[in-house]
Formats: sequence, structure tokens, C-alpha cells
Amino acid sequence: MSYVAPVKDMKFVIKELAGLNTLNQLPGCEDATEDTVDAILEENAKFCGDVLAPLNWSGDVEHSVRHADGSVTTPKGFKEAFKQFGEGGWQGLHHPVDFGGQGLPKLVATTGIEMINSANLSFALCPLLSDGAIEAILLTGTEQQRATYLPNMVSAKWTGTMNLTEPQAGSDLSLVRSRAVPQPDASYRISGQKIFITWGEHDMAENLVHLVLARTPTAPAGVKGISLFICPKFLVNPDGSLGKRNDVFCASIEHKLGIKASPTAVLVFGDGKGEVGVGADGTAGAVGYLVGEENRGLEYMFIMMNAARFAVGMQGVAVAERAYQKAVSFARDRVQGRAVEGSAAAVTIIHHPDVRRMLMTMRALTEAARATGYIAAAASDAAHHHPDAAVRADNQAFYEYLVPIVKGFSTEMSLEVASLGVQVHGGMGFIEETGAAQYYRDARILTIYEGTTAIQANDLVGRKTARDGGKTAKAIIAQVRSTEAELAASNHADLKVICDQLGRASKALEDAVEFVAGSAKSDIRAVYAGSVPYLMLAGVVIGGWNMARAALVAQAKIAAGTEAEKRDPFYAAKIKTARFYADHILTRAGGLRASIVGGAEGVLALSEEQF
Amino acid sequence: MASLVIAEHDNASLKGATLNTVTAAVKCGGDVHVLVAGSNCGAAAAAAAQIAGVSKVLVADAPHFADALAENVAAQVVSMAAAYSHILAPATANGKNILPRVAALLDCQQISEIIAVEAPDTFVRPIYAGNALATVQSSDAKKIITVRTTGFDGAAATGGSAAVETVAAQGDAGISAFIGREVAKSERPELAGAKIIVSGGRGMGSGENFKILEPLADKLGAAMGASRAAVDAGFVPNDWQVGQTGKIVAPTLYIAVGISGAIQHLAGMKDSKTIVAINKDPEAPIFSVADYGIVGDLFTLVPELIAELG
Amino acid sequence: MKVLVPVKRVVDYNVKVRVKADQTGVETANVKMSMNPFDEIAVEEAMRLKEAGIATEVIAVSCGVAACGETLRTALAIGADRAILVETDADLQPLAVAKLLAAVCKKEGPGLVILGKQAIDDDANQTGQMLAALMGWPQATFASKVTIADGKAQVTREVDGGLETIKINLPAIVTTDLRLNEPRYVTLPNIMKAKKKPMENHKPADLGVDVAPRLKTLKVTEPPKRSAGIKVPDIKTLVDKLKNEAKVI
Ligand SMILES: Cc1cc2nc3c(=O)[nH]c(=O)nc-3n(C[C@H](O)[C@H](O)[C@H](O)COP(=O)(O)OP(=O)(O)OC[C@H]3O[C@@H](n4cnc5c(N)ncnc54)[C@H](O)[C@@H]3O)c2cc1C
Repeated sequence: MSYVAPVKDMKFVIKELAGLNTLNQLPGCEDATEDTVDAILEENAKFCGDVLAPLNWSGDVEHSVRHADGSVTTPKGFKEAFKQFGEGGWQGLHHPVDFGGQGLPKLVATTGIEMINSANLSFALCPLLSDGAIEAILLTGTEQQRATYLPNMVSAKWTGTMNLTEPQAGSDLSLVRSRAVPQPDASYRISGQKIFITWGEHDMAENLVHLVLARTPTAPAGVKGISLFICPKFLVNPDGSLGKRNDVFCASIEHKLGIKASPTAVLVFGDGKGEVGVGADGTAGAVGYLVGEENRGLEYMFIMMNAARFAVGMQGVAVAERAYQKAVSFARDRVQGRAVEGSAAAVTIIHHPDVRRMLMTMRALTEAARATGYIAAAASDAAHHHPDAAVRADNQAFYEYLVPIVKGFSTEMSLEVASLGVQVHGGMGFIEETGAAQYYRDARILTIYEGTTAIQANDLVGRKTARDGGKTAKAIIAQVRSTEAELAASNHADLKVICDQLGRASKALEDAVEFVAGSAKSDIRAVYAGSVPYLMLAGVVIGGWNMARAALVAQAKIAAGTEAEKRDPFYAAKIKTARFYADHILTRAGGLRASIVGGAEGVLALSEEQF
Repeated sequence: MASLVIAEHDNASLKGATLNTVTAAVKCGGDVHVLVAGSNCGAAAAAAAQIAGVSKVLVADAPHFADALAENVAAQVVSMAAAYSHILAPATANGKNILPRVAALLDCQQISEIIAVEAPDTFVRPIYAGNALATVQSSDAKKIITVRTTGFDGAAATGGSAAVETVAAQGDAGISAFIGREVAKSERPELAGAKIIVSGGRGMGSGENFKILEPLADKLGAAMGASRAAVDAGFVPNDWQVGQTGKIVAPTLYIAVGISGAIQHLAGMKDSKTIVAINKDPEAPIFSVADYGIVGDLFTLVPELIAELG
Repeated sequence: MKVLVPVKRVVDYNVKVRVKADQTGVETANVKMSMNPFDEIAVEEAMRLKEAGIATEVIAVSCGVAACGETLRTALAIGADRAILVETDADLQPLAVAKLLAAVCKKEGPGLVILGKQAIDDDANQTGQMLAALMGWPQATFASKVTIADGKAQVTREVDGGLETIKINLPAIVTTDLRLNEPRYVTLPNIMKAKKKPMENHKPADLGVDVAPRLKTLKVTEPPKRSAGIKVPDIKTLVDKLKNEAKVI
């Protein structure tokens, strides 16, 4: 089997670190009992491992293909697998029961996001984008819009897309130019070109529901003049059946470094094709419907952005996990070189200390990022479901602080992990058919779309740190300190080392927060020069904190758990992985701190001409 | 103390599995009797009487025993059970079908698929698909046993001269009926679950040449597989590929023909019970995992192998 | 017609079992457990009979420790209507399980019981046949096709060297072989529904069954290791080795 979901670690993190059994006491989360969640993980793991994972490599080789009529064919097996995915109800994990979903907490949904993306990142993007579109319609759509689109989207009969990017508008969406002209019947006619639209055209669903950012003729310039529209591939008749083909067509799909099975489309709106003719006022364009209020499109996008960015962060964890599994299985098999301490014959490479170092780096980073992602998800659930408004607010702040870290740190670390994955394979790693290179190529998009790492770091610096004077960041550091106190109280040798390194690292983060919050006004360029290092530092420390918490739980299980727990090698391995993280990853904190606090000079000194 | 062996036969002839079962029965101690329950099964009974070590052959001949329906045969065995301390059947589809029914009717816990007799009440049997061996001791008055034929050599088919006795046939239970039989189709088993796999590599040279493996596969009832190199070269379809990115297989016998043994391929088949490699390069890595390697030209060795298998 | 499907909780198919150092058995603590794969096929077959309008109710039964409840939940998530757990910590051997199932059959009066042909832990291949004997019902083991009509089941069985078809009166016992069907993937909505389906709990004593083991396991050992590979000089030797040493042909 090419991918086996790490169900045991997932369950551990959900239960012991993210507090499933506290969460499922909250109103609206009662269904997420431990045994139900276990069953969901097991069954989803089977589906992802047996059905989706085997299509990962073949999808990469075949990739999606566009035809002259603008239609797109997905690789062999994708369509059937997507049908199974829909029939399995997996799109509905997190979505409301009213529209056919199961309304389960984000924490549970997050395990699903991880598994499906580990199994097949290209495939998983389709439901991931649908999630975004469903969120958007839920959040801002009218009763009628929800009734028209959501049941079919939640059942994955239809899929959704997010049409934001245009050639001149990527990181900066205020530059969006697509036009939306209101019609007497309250619909709009939309024209313009969108690029890089993930799963913007394909053959896996009966209908595609595009969510499109565009400007109305009267809109003010800039961020406050962009509206959000639903623009279905086929119009939907009042009885729910599919009607005319809308005037939105795929002009081309991109040739990419990775995620090749996922069609990335150029979509042209209002090219005079399809069956919808022109509007009553003679305006050409695709038929679209306003969601929410005019000119508030970007604002809505920002609310949804948290969910989408979070999901991309989990893609990072996912691809890292898959790369790790592959590297481990290769390292167990490949025989090369004698042991440094001497051996009669050549040994499997997993015996070599440096291969161990690489595998442990991969493992520790992945486990830490998983833990950070899952506790963020649990915080989001508490922010929605907790009866106490103050608790909700605290959790929301915590979640929002973590989102750019989950996105930025997990995806950046996935590049490191996937690269190490190639390295573990030696020459075979560089050979495509081995498969390790695919994870590396696939991972490469993750730090770019849904906002580059720089954009995440800007968010972390500006909105999440400077704006509240570092209050949220310091509250998190205080939590790290209380974990340090627990570690300090232990006599366990590994926990003591972890305590030491975590203490130094949290101090480094504290210094960085002081600097960011303190200098944001006085020396803004210097602060932003260290924005990505600050994001990475926060990621390193929060990951280390979670690994330390995991080690404490594991130690307690070994010392005072059931007989089976005491002997469970999982817990011993958890402590050693946390120990590794402390010595090898947390130690990065000092370097990052130095770059942030004192490194701006070198970043900014050269004039443009000197480059 | 005596043992009753339930013969595996098709009325006209006795099946080899009976011989291995007789050996197991002899090891349990005491006389060995053989039951031939069938219809017009005189020939099978006569053959049973020849088996070395058998002292008596009991024949239950009736039309409703013709097709070894479990309900009827089990009732017959139970009617005769009083005289025996051990009742054994080969662990064939038939034996496995009938004997647990006998055991339950006698309120005994059957011991399945033994591979060794340690004592008249103590036996060794594989569990967990052969990944562990359990030594078990039975406290039942009668030991009801199925015998894995590969665990025991066959008794000599001739040399014995047992008395053949007819026993009263029990009636037809009348709750089951035989409809028909289809002899195995020549269609090959699926790669994934196959017990035997014949696999070809780049050394086959062409898709056309894979044809020489077909009679070998047919003879062994094997599935056919291939290395990635052979699939990439277009010799055979994708779904034949064994290896890390293809199918992972663990048959009891894997015959690798013209496969060098790239690590990716090994990952897909290294758990096979017995691996045979045929390759002209004595240094090919496949030999490092093969139980039996033979160095030479596959185009002469494969036909030889087919001929030798008879 | 009610269909009863006994399911067993076993060490997961993908786990490579390890023999315990003290030779008392294999390591089952901290090992992933799942439904016996042949039993999944049995549940699937029962579901198909229900979907075809032949079965009116599918009841899953499991005998063993409390955690067998999880296996029953899986059966419920595949689609069984309700479940019965016969809970005991005793070491259950096939005859004891067959007796427990017979007691359940007497209470429930199913028209058909579908079991896996064997469990992948003890590889015994007995329970179905034993249950048939205890109930006095006909049996169709190793089924690769089942058709129900006119109060009878026509079953194609996988036998040595081919297939055989028999017709048996109902009520009856069927045991499944691998090719009977391909079990479906459990859907999320069905997992959620399974939570609310009823699960009865019984103890062997309530059913009046003595489950004392009849076989004592004296020891469990590793099978002999594969001997280092050899090169053989010719085909004759090869075939001889395969027949008489490896015993694989
Ligand atoms: C495969 C793929 C799939 C995609 N899917 C979708 C989709 O489904 N829907 C959609 O709408 N879009 C999609 N995109 C678009 C994607 O979100 C953008 O490419 C991304 O946001 C970056 O924008 P850009 O390409 O214009 O790069 P630019 O914004 O031009 O960025 C170039 C560089 O400048 C840096 N930079 C830019 N602005 C700043 C700043 N303010 N501060 C610091 N650094 C800055 C960036 O970090 C980057 O390094 C996809 C892109 C790809 C490649």
C-alpha cells in the first residue's frame, strides 16, 4: 500500500492534544464522540488508501487534458473515484446537516483533509475548492441560493471553484478587473478573464459552481469595489434541473511543475459562447448572481480565506506525511554501505546515522505541524460552539493567530520534508518513477497559492501581532511557559532537555514579538524584512510546544496508563521524537530570532540598482 | 484406539490427499481405517485397500453420497464414530466442508490443518496465515482433525491389503442437492490473490516472447506478472506490474523470469514464500532474494521447466 | 427473511504478527484490530440480499470481548440493522462460538446465516459448518455466488479444481469465499447512522452455553526461517526442490 493514514497519531493528537472529549461536550459537537470519530478515521483511511492513493502517480503521468471545445478530461480513474467520494458522503463531513452534510467539528474534518491530501493532492484540491465555495454560499448566499446550490455541492454532484486571480491581480486582489453588469431581472452579466483556476473545468461533476470576484460598473476603485458572484457552468432551472450552458469556458490549462492531475484553468467569461446569449440590455457575458451585498466581495473572501489557508496548511502536513512514509519504506529496503561501527556485510540504509537524522527531521516536523493544525481546528470549533462569549473570543484570536502559521509554516516545512524525502532515496529519488520527486514537485505549489508565505507573514505581522500589540502572541507564550513548568517538574531525562530547549526558543519568540509589536510604527520596513523568519519562528516554537505536550502525555501513559499503554511503543517513540524536535528544530529558534531582531540591515541595504 | 480416515475420491479413483492423511493417522497410533463414502465407489475403495498402513476399508455406497454433500457424509461418519479415537480428513475443500460438521455433532473441537503430530492428543498447526505455529493439545474424547497435506508425506499407494467391508449407509438427509460442477476455467487467477505467479522482465525481450511463459502459468495455475521494465517497454499491460508502484504480491511461489531484481520490483514481491529466479546474469540482484536460482538462457530453461513439470 | 451475520474481531489483515517471546501466543496488545475480511464479504452479501428485497432485516452478531462492539459498529455502518454482542473474556474456540450462535439463531429464527469461511487469526474454518450441524440445517461453504428463490438457496461453491453448485433448503448456513463479492466502502452518513442502531448485549451464561475451551495451546512459535537461497544446476533439481523441499507445487 502506498499510503497508510497515520490513524494512531491522528487519534492521539485529536484526543490528547486537541481535547476531543472536551470539544464534544459543546453544543452542536455532541456527535463527535470518540468511537464515532475512530470509526470515521478508520473508514476514511481505507477509502483514501485503497481508492485515491493508487491514482496519485498515474494522475501525475497522465495529467488532465483540455480538448479543442474547452472540455477537460481528468486522468483515468479520477471520475469514478470522485463519484465514490461523493457517494461516501465525505464532502459533507463538516457541512451543515440541513444541506446533507454531517455537521461534524472542524477538528474531525481536518483529519479528512489530511488523509485525502496525503492520498492524492491533485484530486483533493477539487473537494477543497468546493469546501471554499460551499462556505461562501453558506456565509453570504440567500435562502434560495443555498437551496439551489448547496445540496448538490455537499453531495459532490457539483463542484465549486474560487475565481479570484487575474493576470494583473494575484497577491493583490484589489486590482481585479472582471466586470459584472446588473440586469433588470437582478442577475448580472460577467465578463473578463480569470487565471490559475483550480479545477476550473473538468469531467467529474455534472455542474461547476464558480464563485467569481468582479466589479460592477458603479463600484469604487480598490478593495472596496469588488463583489462576489455565483456563476454556474450550467444555469439551474427553477425545478433544480440543469439548463443552459453558461458563457464561461476554459481557454487553456497550465503546464505545471506539480499537481499535474489537477487542471489549472484559464477561464474566459463572456466570450459569446454557450447558450445564454446577451442580457436584456444587450450586455454580453456569463450569467451571474450576486452573493451578499455589492462591493463586499473581498471582505467575504477574507472570512473564508482562513478556512482555505488552513486547508492548504494541512496539505503541507499531508504531503510531508506521504513523503515520510515513502522514505521510511525505501530506507528499510535499500542495502548500501557498511555500518560506521562495522558490520559483516552492507546494511540497509536506515542503519546509517545520517539517514536516521533525515527521517527523524521529516517525522518530527510532520508530527509537530499536524499537532499545531489540529489544535487550531479545535480552537476554531470552540470559537464557534462555546457557550461563553469570552471563551469564544479567546479561541477565535488564538485560531486567527495560528492560521497564517499553519499555512506558512506547514507548507514551508513540507518543502524541506519532501526534499529530504528525495535525498533519502539517493539517485532513485531524482528518478521520477520512484515517486519521491512527485511529492517534492506537488509540495512546491503549497507555499504559493492561497497567499504566498510572504502574504501569510504580512498577515501575521500586521493583523495578528502588531494590531493587538502582541497580546495574542504573548498569551500563547504564556501557555508555552506553563508547559515548560510541567516539564521542569519531571525527572525524565528527555523531558528535561525538551524543557531546556523550549525555554530558550520561547524566549526567542518573545523577543521577536516585542520587536515586531514595538517597531511596527517606528521601523516598518525592518519589521517586514523579518516577517517570514518571524512566521517560521512562531511555527517552530508552537510546534515544539505541542511536541512537548505530546511528550508529557506519553510519559504519563507510560508511567501510569493501562498495561497496554505502558508497553505501547507509540508513546516511547513520541517522547524521542519530541526530544529530537527539541535538539534539532527548536534550536533553529535562536538563529531566526537573530535574523528578525537584527537582520533587517542586510536585507534592505542594497539599492535596487545593486541587484 | 483406532483412526478413521475419510477418503478423498471421485468414486472412480482415490485422490492423493488421502495418502498424506493416512500418514498423519498412522502417527496418531493405532489401526487406521479408511471410509469411502460414495456412489458406485468400488474402484476408489479398492485403491484405498492398497494403501500401506491401512488395516480396513469401510465402504458406504449410496446414490446420495455421489457428490459428497456435507449433510449426508457427516451423518455417515457420525454413525460410525463410536469405534474411533481419531477421525481425520485431508484439509481439502471437501474435508474442510464435512469434518467440522462431524465434530460439532460429536461435541468435539476440531483441530484444523495440522502439519505435525506431537502426541496422540497434541498437534502443530499454522495460524495467522502461517506466520506462527501453534502446538495444541485436545481434551476431547475424540480427536477430529483435518490434515494439511504438505505437512505429511504420502503413504505408499500400494503394498497394503486391507479388508474391504461394506457398512450400512445412512439415509439421505434430503435438505441439500447437488446441481452441477464446473471444472476450473483456464482463465488465470488474479495477480493480487494468486498462489503462484510467473513474472517476466525486460529479459523477455518482447511482448511476443511473453507467450512462452503462458504454458508455464497454465500448468501451475499461476497468475502472470511483470516487472516495471517490461511494462514500460510495452511488452505487457500495466496491470501486470509487480513492484512498489504496481501490485504488491506474496504468493507461495513466485517465479521471476528474466527479471534483474531492481529494488522497486523486490519491494513488490519479497514477501513471497518461495522465490525462483531464472536469469542469465549470475550477478543479478534477484538472486539475492531467490530461494532457488538458476543461471542460464530463459528461452531454453522455461521450455525445459514446462516439460519437467509434465 | 432475517439474515444473521456473525462477525469476528481479528488482528488487521495488514499487520505483520509477532510471536510473543514467552511463546504464549502472538502479540495482540497495541495492534490494529479489524473485522475479519471474510466477514466483511458476509455483511456485504447480506446487504445485497436486503437491497434485492430478499432479506428483511440484517442482524450482526459478534462473540468475544467488549471491544467486539466496535466490529459490530462497523457492520452496522456497512448497513446491518441491529447487532447482538455476546460478551465474554473467555478464550472462545469455534465450537463454543457455534454454540453461542446456535443459541442466538434459536431466539432470532433467521432464514439464512452468512459467515466468513474462516477467520484470518486462527484459520480454523469451522464455525459455519458447526453451526449448521448444531441447527440441523444444510450448509453451503466457500460460496462464490448465492441466489435465493422458492425457499431455497442455490450456491456456487469454490472447490478444489473448480466450482460446484448445490441447492439447499432454507434456513441454511452459507460461508463466504473471497470472490463472492467486493465489499463496499463504508459511507460517512452510515457511520453516523450506525451510532443510533440498537446493540443487544448477552453473556454466554444467559444463553446457557458452556464456552470452556477444549484445546489447550501449549506454545506458539515462529515458523522456521527461510533458508538462504541457493543456485541450482538444472531444471530437474529445481523442480525436485520445489516439490519436495519447498513443497509449493
Ligand atoms: C497551481 C495554481 C493554482 C491556483 N489556484 C487558484 C484558484 O483556484 N483560484 C484563484 O483565484 N487563484 C489561484 N491561484 C493563484 C494564486 O493564488 C496566486 O498565484 C498567488 O496568490 C500569487 O499571486 P501571483 O501569482 O500574482 O504572484 P505575485 O503576487 O505577483 O507574487 C510574486 C512574488 O511577490 C511576493 N509578493 C507579492 N506581494 C507581496 C507583498 N505585499 N509583500 C511581500 N511580498 C509580496 C510574493 O510573495 C511572491 O514571492 C493558483 C495558482 C497556481 C499556480
